[in-house]
Order: sequence, then C-alpha cells, then structure tokens
Amino acid sequence: MTTARISSANRTARTAREGRRARSGSHLVPHLFLGALVVYFLIPIWWLFVASTKDVGGLFNGSAGALWFDKNFALWPNLAELFTYNDGIYLRWLGNSLFYALAGGIGATVLAVLAGYGFAKFQFRGRNFSFALLLGSVMVPLTALVIPTFVLLSELKLTDTIWAVILPSLLNPFGVYLMQVYAADAVPDELLDAARVDGAGEFRTFFQVAFPLLRPAFITVLLLSIVGSWNNYFLPLAMLSNTQLFPITVGIGLWEGLAAGNNSGGHSLWGLIIVGSLVSVIPLVIAFLSLQKYWRGGLAIGSLK
Amino acid sequence: MKKKTIVAAVSALALAAMLAACSSGGGSTTSSGTSPKLTNCTNKIVNKSAPEVSVWAWYPNMAKVVDNFNNGHKDVQVCWTNVGQGGDEYTKFQTGISAGKGLPDVVMLEADHLAGYEIQNALVDISKLGADKVKSNFSAGAWKDVSQGSAVYAAPVDGGPMALIYRTDVFQKYGITTPPATWDEYAADAAKVKAAGGPMFGDLGANVPANLMALQIQKGAVPYKYDLKDPKKLTVNLADQASKDVLDYWAGLVKKGLVGTQDQFTTDYISGVVGGKYATYTSAAWAPGYLTGAGVGKGDSKGVWAVAPLPQWDAANPVSVNWGGSAFAVTTQATDKKLAAEVALGLYADPDSLADGWKNQVIFPLNQGVLKSADFINNKSEFFNGQTANKDVYIPAENAYKGFVYAPITVYYYAQLQAETVKINAGKISGSDAATELQANIVKYAKSQGFTVTE
Amino acid sequence: MANETAVAARPPLRGTGATGSPSRTRRGSSQRRRSATGWLFIGPFAIVFIIFLVAPLAYAFYLSLFSKGLATGTTFTGIDNYVKAFTDPSFLGGIWFVLRFALVLIPVQMAVSLSAALVLDAITTRFARFARLMIFLPYAIPAVIGALMWGFLYSPTFGPLQQLFGLFGANAPFPLSPDNVFGGLMNVVTWQWAGYYMIIIYAALQGIDPALYEAAKIDGANSWQVAMRIKVPLVSSALVLILVFALIGTLQFFTEPAILRLVSNGSITPDFTPNLYAYNQAFSYANFNYASAISFALGIIVFIAVYIFLFFTRKRGSILS
Repeated sequence: MTTARISSANRTARTAREGRRARSGSHLVPHLFLGALVVYFLIPIWWLFVASTKDVGGLFNGSAGALWFDKNFALWPNLAELFTYNDGIYLRWLGNSLFYALAGGIGATVLAVLAGYGFAKFQFRGRNFSFALLLGSVMVPLTALVIPTFVLLSELKLTDTIWAVILPSLLNPFGVYLMQVYAADAVPDELLDAARVDGAGEFRTFFQVAFPLLRPAFITVLLLSIVGSWNNYFLPLAMLSNTQLFPITVGIGLWEGLAAGNNSGGHSLWGLIIVGSLVSVIPLVIAFLSLQKYWRGGLAIGSLK
Repeated sequence: MKKKTIVAAVSALALAAMLAACSSGGGSTTSSGTSPKLTNCTNKIVNKSAPEVSVWAWYPNMAKVVDNFNNGHKDVQVCWTNVGQGGDEYTKFQTGISAGKGLPDVVMLEADHLAGYEIQNALVDISKLGADKVKSNFSAGAWKDVSQGSAVYAAPVDGGPMALIYRTDVFQKYGITTPPATWDEYAADAAKVKAAGGPMFGDLGANVPANLMALQIQKGAVPYKYDLKDPKKLTVNLADQASKDVLDYWAGLVKKGLVGTQDQFTTDYISGVVGGKYATYTSAAWAPGYLTGAGVGKGDSKGVWAVAPLPQWDAANPVSVNWGGSAFAVTTQATDKKLAAEVALGLYADPDSLADGWKNQVIFPLNQGVLKSADFINNKSEFFNGQTANKDVYIPAENAYKGFVYAPITVYYYAQLQAETVKINAGKISGSDAATELQANIVKYAKSQGFTVTE
Repeated sequence: MANETAVAARPPLRGTGATGSPSRTRRGSSQRRRSATGWLFIGPFAIVFIIFLVAPLAYAFYLSLFSKGLATGTTFTGIDNYVKAFTDPSFLGGIWFVLRFALVLIPVQMAVSLSAALVLDAITTRFARFARLMIFLPYAIPAVIGALMWGFLYSPTFGPLQQLFGLFGANAPFPLSPDNVFGGLMNVVTWQWAGYYMIIIYAALQGIDPALYEAAKIDGANSWQVAMRIKVPLVSSALVLILVFALIGTLQFFTEPAILRLVSNGSITPDFTPNLYAYNQAFSYANFNYASAISFALGIIVFIAVYIFLFFTRKRGSILS
C-alpha cells in the first residue's frame, strides 16, 4: 500500500472518529500529562527569551531570578547591539546559515530522490551491495571523516570556502533510504512501463511520471536535510577559519569562546550570545510552524515501512 | 502546489545568497580576480598593491593594531582573521599542521605552546630574520620564553607576571590590614576569614593548569628540561618535593574549605567574583582587563579591588612567575618568510598599538620601551581604584621573571594536570599522590611519543 | 494495509513491483531494466558518497595503520593502534560510559516519546495540537545552542535550580557534578530528541486504519488496551527505526559533552566518550593516526551493537539488508 493511499483512505474515517472524540468530553489526565511535557520542553526556550531581555548585570546577578524578567528590559538594546556588533557580522552568519542550509539541503535532496528512485525501480549489478553499504554508512563516526575530508578538500584548495561546507553536506544516506522506501511503493511499475511503451526515455519518465508521485517524500527529505545542514557545527568548525563564512552555530561558538576568555575588548559578549541564540532559532521555528503538515505526512514514510 | 514550493525555495535561496553577499561584513577584500590576493581578511587592505601576509590573532584590539600596521607600511599588508582564542585557535593550527596546509603566515601563540609546534617543524627560526635586532627591547625572561638556545621562534608581545588581586572590602571587614606576603600568611588569613564567617579566600580552578604549574615553579620545581637541539630528549620532573609541596598546600586549603574549587573563566566563577565569593584572585597582569570585560569592577564591585605582589614561599628570596602571555610566530607554510617575520616583529610593536593595548588593559606589554615609559609606570589603574599597579606590582614582577622551560607535550600535560586537580578538588587524592600519578602518566606518554625520557 | 507489521518485516529492497501480485508477471520488463540505467540515477549520489564518505574513510583506515610520535617519524605499525585502543583505559572507559548511557537513556527517551505520541494520537483538542508542536520544537534548535542553554540552566550560581532550592535554604545539586553528570546529560539529550522521535511515532500512528480500533472497541477493549495491543505493535517498525537511530547517536555521543565540558567543572573529561576522545587525540594532541584507529574501533562497536539489537528484535531485514 502506498502511504498516499493510506492517508487518503484514513482521512474520512479519522475525521469521523475525531468528531466523536470531541464530543466524548474532556481528557483531564492526558491533558495534565501533555501540560507537564509542554512545560518541560518550553522551559529552556522561555529562559532563552527572558535572558535575552536582560543586560549583562541582570543576566548573572539579576534580582528576579533566571526565569523571570529583570527590572531593566533590555531586549531592544540587545537586539540593536547584536545587529551592529562587529559591522553586523551576525546578520552575515545568519545569511550564511540560510544559504548553506538551502544549498546543501536542496542539493542533498535532489541527489537522494534520484538515487532512491534508482535503487527502487531498477535492477542492476551491485545494487544490493551498494544499498547495504549505504545503510552501513549511517554508523560511521563523524570524527573519522572530518580529518581526512579536511585533507581531501585542502588538496582541492577548497577548505575555507563555501564549498567545504556545502559539498560534504550533499551526502544524506538516510534521505536516499527514505526515498527508496517511498519510491518502491508510491510509483507503480505499471505506470512506468506504460510511459516507456509510449516511447518516453528513462529521464522523461522520471520527471513526468515518477517525480510528481514522489513529491511528499521529496519535501520531507528536503526538510530533514535543511535542518541537518542548519544544525551542522563540527564540519564547518573544522573547515572554516574565515569568520565571514561562518554559519550561525560556529559564529556563536566563536563568541562563546571569546566571551569565556574575555576577548571582546572590555565588553561582555554573553548578552550577545544569548540574544543571538534566540534570533537564530526563530527561522527554523517559523519553518516548523508553517510546514508542520509535511513533517507529519512525510515522516510516516520511513517509519511505516 | 509543486511550482509554488519550488518558487519559494528558489527565492529563499536567492535571498540568502544576497544576504550573505551584500552584508556589511567589515569590508572584506573581495577576490580581485587575477592577483593571488587573500580574500578572507577581517580588516581593510590599505595599500592594495603590496604583498599580503595572513595573520591569526585574538587580541581584542587587533582591528586597531592591524590598521595601524597597514597604514604605516607600503611594502607589506596584513590580512587578519580571528579564528578563536587559545584552544580554539590551537585546534585549527594543529589541523593545518597535520594536513600540511591551511596555516596562516603569522600566528599568535602562547609561549607554553611554542615547543609543541617547534618539534613539528611548524615554526620558523626568526633570529636571523630580524628578531636578534630587537632582542634588547625585551627582558631576559620574556626572551627565553620564545627561544631555544640561539634560535628564536616568536616575537614576544604580551606577558603575564603574576600577582595577588584582592578585595579591599573583604580584607577590611575581616581585619586583614596588609595583604599576605607569604603563602603561610595566605593560609592563615584564609583561616581567619573563614572562622569569622567570611567568604572563601581564593580558588583552585582545575581548568587553569598553567596557573598551578607557575605556582609550582615558584617554589623551585623544574617540571621539564628540554632543548630543541636534541629534540628526542626530555627530562620530566613533576613529582619532586617542591611540586608535591605546592599541590599538598592547595589540597589542604581545599580540604579545609578555605578556597573554592570552581573552574575559572566560567560565568559561574565570574558571578562569584562579582558577588564577593572570593577574597583574592591569584592571577596574571592581564587579569584586570579580563575581569573588567566580564563585568567585574562595575556596580557593586566597583572600587573594591587592589593588587599586591604574589605571596612567596621564602620572603627573603622572592621568585617571580608568569601565567599566559603571547607572541607572534612565523609558520613554515608562509610563502615569504622574511616578509612574515617583518610582520611578526612589527605588528604589535608600534607605540600607538602598544599604548592602546595597555591602556585598555588587553595586554601587559613586554616591550621595554613601554615598561620604562613614564606614562606606563605612573598609570593609575581604574580597576584598582587608582592604585599605581604597574609601578607597585607588575613591572617589578616582570623584571624579576627568569623564564620557564616548556615541554613539547604541553597540551597533554595540561589536560592531565587538570584531571589530577579535579581529583584533588573532589578530595579523592592527596597533593603528593597526584604529583606521583602525574609523573608516571606523563613519562608513559612521552615515551609513547618516542622521547628518551630522563626522570 | 491490513498488516503493516508484515510489511515492516520485509526487506526494504522490494524494488521492482513490491505493490502486489502483478509484479511477478512482469519479469520481462524488469530484466530489460537490469541495465546500467539505474546507475545513471544513482551516479550523482554515488560520486558524492565515494568522495565524501568512502575515500575519507579509506584514508582514515590507512592512517590508522601508522603511528607517529612527536619525537619520531611516521612508521607503519599495522594493527598496533587497535591493540592499544582496546587496552586503553580511556577508550574502554568511554565505551563503558556510552553503553551504560544508551541502556538507560534510550528506554527513558522511548517512554517519553511513545507515551506523548499515544496521547497526542488519542486526543485532538487545540491544546493537544499546541503541545505536539511544542514538544517537537527542541528539534529545531541546534544541539550547540541547546547545550549552551542547559549549561546556563544548570548553573549553580544563577540557574533556576539554585533559586528553587534557595527557597528552602538548601544548596541545589549541580547536574554536571561527577555524581550527577549522567543524569544531567541524559536530560539534555532527552529534551533535544524526544520530540523528533515523538513525531515519527505519531506519524506512524496516524497511518493506522481507525477501523482496527473500532473492531477492538466492539470487542470491549478500553483505550489502554487499544494502545498497548493494537497501536504499539503496529508502529513497532517505527520504534525499531528510532531505537537504531538513538543507539547509533548515543554510541557516537559527542556534541553535548563537548559543549558542556566547558561548564562541567572537570567532570566531563577529554576522554569522556569515545568520540570526544578521538577528537581530542586528533585535534589537541596531534595523534591523527591513533584518533583514526579509535574512530574505526568505535565504528565497529556501533555496527556490532546495532546488529545485535536488530537480531534480538528480529527486524534485521527492515534496516540492514
């Protein structure tokens, strides 16, 4: 059964079920449970927001405590300083992160769709072996790759360039796995055969027949890849030394190192680190809020099969 | 639907590219096409026709220092990046050494890390590239820290003569009229403050092993003997009586609850310092700038700080020691080593940069021209409430400093000393036993690295 | 659709015609496509895979067969580095830690994410939708920033714990002290990942045909029984997937201890986890050769652990072919 078919088949039944559930009254215990979870998962984020509104003094020695606002509401000055400090390097880091995440994410997803389709719909020599290799690769420790990748890219004179971040992040074996699983079910062979009978070439068949069917999985893999690239820290940390190319994670890491050693020339960076962390999580939070149906729809692929 | 998604994705990508491309980021020199210019400078290149030398450094006022240099030089320009402070930079530096590429031409390093890079052939001997000519600008101790015999591996900039920073309000409250001149007095005063219900007297931070090592050397310990002329020979002597005594002394203070066990440089530590949790801070000349930057000496803790010479083991024979401080070295990957040496020796050596550095308390200059200037000597430190700290404490300490010998395994040694200090702080081991364990551990490591070890 | 567990147990490489009976009759067309065309689709990914995974890995393996001391040149030492690793108390201690950590963390994480998903699947109020999003939210926050936030929250001086305990005149425990660091790290990881796992399970639950529940209800099953006897078994392949992810991630534990090390007051050592140890060997002590060996040894252990796990859950086919 295809996932698409599953969800559409379920939809009517589910709506009926939900309608009845809603009538069946309140669920006190589950709601208390959820409430506790929400509090737990939100406390650090609440703290981040509250801390962003404090000046440095309030941050470390404030009277109101860690989880409530200080007398002095300094969010706006903090933001102003964040965006102007060091000629606005923060905005550049944010832009870099966005660029790396989208370029790496889109690239990785395109490769994953092609490869997943290839694995799912073609028989060829070395297929099973390659696929086993692909799945095994998930277990490779990152540290084993960072050093040799650095050497490799420096041979190509690509270290300390955007390519050193984007090219390695094109590798997303799990994305290929998801696409393979999805494509195997969602694209009926009959459809492909029919297109071929009509004289369409393999690539035309793929783009015109298969790809539209793969779109839900495409979007899920895209989201996963983008989040993966956005959260990436150690790869860019090892590859980049030019601060102008840093993504936001490495930039904030740099600030943290400098703040811990007080290297900011007589003014504390901690306030910037905290408000910078807050601003940096906003884009992904918005993306999550606006794209949540794709998360739900797409993630079922990998888990159902 | 599909089209919309793609359009959205593409436009977001374009937006990101635009944001990244035209952000106001400090005027990096964009790739100028034909000439092999460095493209990742944080600073502006003034004389675009001159050859460029790449520099890694983390001095807080580096932007100004680089501008001073570039404005004053037609023949060479500096292209500077801050890749992180201390450990962060060393990680990148080590990666570059191991990969055989990726190092800058000139790099800021602390003296205790030089030997480890010298033995990997990463640094250039600059004695004949101009360093010998400026030797007279520095004290013997400062020069020894950057040399191996006649070879010179870096141009000294910043020093860290140690002293005892203390809180006048706490001292006054608990009736300590003169700061402790010896470590015995230090322990006695600590007990006195504690007995009266006062705060802790100091802090044995496990994450500042260089500090602890300096205190051991002060009592006569000689942790290492090493000479690059015979690079495979290393003498390790971490468990002699002096080393054990100092560890036992601090372990005793910890056990009695007289000093804290908090890692230093952390926000928790600073918060404790501001809040009056510690009566003293055994630290180096750069500490006032560090504390100021972290928010100490403002508000509640304004005007309560003073500095006295470091307590001694034998007041009749004072010993001066050093913690931290840094220098510019030329790397073996530099394309033009002579030009790089010119930058290393000249970058933080002009009067304007030095004055900016010490006035903002971001460096303690080693250049004798500054150390002997009336401005510097008579400066009334704002952090120390108008005390002439340089004249009273730091300049004598710097002049009496004889220099240390560092091993080429500093990073590993520090990590192990830190681990032993953690055990001491947890009360799991005595100072003497920690020294014995450390000795065995380091000897084993040094042997595994191929050194012929003398104990 | 009727039995998804069976679907899940099938190997993923169903490839041509997994959807049903017609596939058996089309061997001919399959044969026709047994050509190199498949490689054209896989090619771009394969190139990236070879350049950024196979080649670096091969190079790292090559490095691991050599030894380099600061005072000596590089020499070929064969498997010496591996012998050293498996007798190195630092490496073995790290392995022991991550194994214990996985053993405690994963069940806790699973319990949180599974129970949250089951509740969210059962109730559909506005608050439940809000809760679902909030539980998922930490996944959007980079691990570096998450660890940094928890570092602040754990602060014995100005964190909320201190205030809470201060109300009772007590001193708060420090979650990163040597005695507490296990739980302190577990909390950070659970916070960071439980929401992601919850969403995967939730998505799987949403794919179940509600008719199954109706049938059970008619047979007199209550909600708890429906959850335990129908829902959980039906999402078991999602659970296995998550467990494998969690197992791999935990054995390679790195980012959180690396960041929290700075504020742990020494309880997180440079050899705390095998990955951290490898990183420090490589980047702090310049032992790239030994670091490569450690990484490889770790990779082997991860592989064995995952294989054992899949063997016991009898789901080998669903992840590893």
